[in-house]
Amino acid sequence: MDINVAKQGNANKNTLFTIDLNRKCSLFLSLKIGDWMLDVELVRKDFPFLKQGRIYLDSTATSLTPEPVLNKMLEYYREYRANVGRGIYKASQIATEEFEKARNEVSRLINAKPEEMVLLRNTSEGINLVASGIKLKKGDKIVTTTLEHHSDFIVWQRASKRSGAALKVVGADSEGFMNLADFEKAIDDSTKIVAVSQVSNVLGVKPPVKEIAKIAHEHGALVLIDGAQSVPHSKVDVKAIGCDFLAFSGHKMCGPTGAGGLYMRELLLEEVEPLCIGGGTIEDVGLDYYRLKKGAAKFEAGTPAIAEVIGMGAAASYLMKLGMLEIESHEQKLTKRVVKGLEEIPNLTLYGPKEPAKRAGIFSFNVGRLHPHDLAMTLDVTAGVMVRSGHHCALPVIKEVIKAPNGTVRASVYIYNNNQDIDTFLATLEEISRTMA
Amino acid sequence: MINIKSFYDNYLNFPKTDCGYCGCTSCVALLRRHYAGEASLSDCIYFEARGYCKEDFVSPKHFTNTKTEPSVSYVSPCPSDAERVTVEVNLASDLHSKYGYFDMISAEKLFGQSLPEMKIAPSLGLARLESDGEAVMGFAEGRILIRRALNENDAFWQLSRFIRWLWGAVN
Ligand SMILES: Cc1ncc(COP(=O)(O)O)c(C=O)c1O
Ligand code: SF4
Repeated sequence: MDINVAKQGNANKNTLFTIDLNRKCSLFLSLKIGDWMLDVELVRKDFPFLKQGRIYLDSTATSLTPEPVLNKMLEYYREYRANVGRGIYKASQIATEEFEKARNEVSRLINAKPEEMVLLRNTSEGINLVASGIKLKKGDKIVTTTLEHHSDFIVWQRASKRSGAALKVVGADSEGFMNLADFEKAIDDSTKIVAVSQVSNVLGVKPPVKEIAKIAHEHGALVLIDGAQSVPHSKVDVKAIGCDFLAFSGHKMCGPTGAGGLYMRELLLEEVEPLCIGGGTIEDVGLDYYRLKKGAAKFEAGTPAIAEVIGMGAAASYLMKLGMLEIESHEQKLTKRVVKGLEEIPNLTLYGPKEPAKRAGIFSFNVGRLHPHDLAMTLDVTAGVMVRSGHHCALPVIKEVIKAPNGTVRASVYIYNNNQDIDTFLATLEEISRTMA
Repeated sequence: MINIKSFYDNYLNFPKTDCGYCGCTSCVALLRRHYAGEASLSDCIYFEARGYCKEDFVSPKHFTNTKTEPSVSYVSPCPSDAERVTVEVNLASDLHSKYGYFDMISAEKLFGQSLPEMKIAPSLGLARLESDGEAVMGFAEGRILIRRALNENDAFWQLSRFIRWLWGAVN
């Protein structure tokens, strides 16, 4: 077959993707999907931040925002700037409609029902909501891991302290791999909740969340997935994982800061208590009583971040149009390139899984005895390469798993990074290692 | 893997005799003037004779941070140790907008062998001095960063020492 259909739209109209029919067909024939193409140069045109030749390798901290998302948020401010769910005038209705449309899009991204999607500010808020809402008490047990981000870790430390519930932390080996047998040992019938990241923000390792959820459910425990690093980069399906909660942030998936989501299994909406209550959360109020609404609205007190949520909806559409499988395969290709390059650099220690296929596009490393902050600063000043340095809000990993007291430098890739970004990064790093380490 | 094309790479391909026949004090000076459009590579007596190709001497990255007056950018606690102090200063003024502040090739000639604590990377435009866990980094464009100083006084003492050492390499 010799057809090549390239559907390349106007970037601003949200129609940005390329289908290579020929490739897809042959892949279908060999029953191998997931190796489709993402036109990275076309994607890059959507990101104004990149127009100045910057090399952004810190998408794990927060991602860049494309034009369609920026325009969608401005559209709200310009065309229908009104509160949601309150006014009966036209603008308020449009705003409500767009807000709910965003909820639909975000739900679709992780295969949840819109009713199960609580719209919040970020991952941290989602996790805090769950920790305070599931009525932990003495005699209960919380199970989490050393790989967690502080937003997942200290929340459970505090919950344990406040409620008297026990906290069990499952460890990992030096590459970040965890043993399912350890979960089997840690999780028992007193376990109320198991909280795990789907992708570690330091090591890029991907714990077997599906299997962990299965073990947890066998003991009647709830399962919370920290999806901050997985939802933006791969096809996440809450039904397939079988989790009860999944928290993620819009700002890490091409959306604006200030909007995030918490998936909550439908059956739990009733049982979990909200973190904040107030306007928007009630069905009826009298002088001596109030009755909370049913469903996700019960958790969304006060005027939400309307523009941001609408922007997050546009970001979800943007990613789904590119295709989550395409995104995954693009990042996997970059990952291979980075790992191969880093391995060739003298004096460089790369943390996390050695095998590229077993990691996400997150790379923590150190060069000789050079302080991570110095290294990050040098990359920025000499080559305009932006990377994160320090402990990455995950001190348990830094202290217990990789044992690098000053932390690490962390580079990470996303849809807008191309081979040239990687090559400049690697070449500069090699020069630094040669001259400075 | 790609090649970082920089001033230094170009310098490495140069005669490096510092003979002075071109009318400049050194090869570095001629190269610098060449990029500023103030001298021609043909001024070098070896250039044509050795068959150098002018196109090989591409223009290096331009200094962007020089449209400011010398100033202290910030004094703040270290990001990973709040007991210690980090200070950043900018030394460059408009005067240095053409060539940058430090000439790290000269710095390497001055210190390359004699001072092991001082690491100089002309290809990156960078000098780094480390002692007792404290670090000072100087960038060709004129920025200096002092990390993990004991306090503000210590930071400025380290700064002045660093500048005194590199004084011979100021453009
Ligand atoms: C794994 C993980 N969990 C949670 C968070 C916290 O996300 P946010 O700051 O958006 O609440 C992050 C962000 O760095 C993360 O990487
Ligand atoms: S004439 Fe050539 S070799 Fe001599 S100093 Fe000038 S540039 Fe260097």
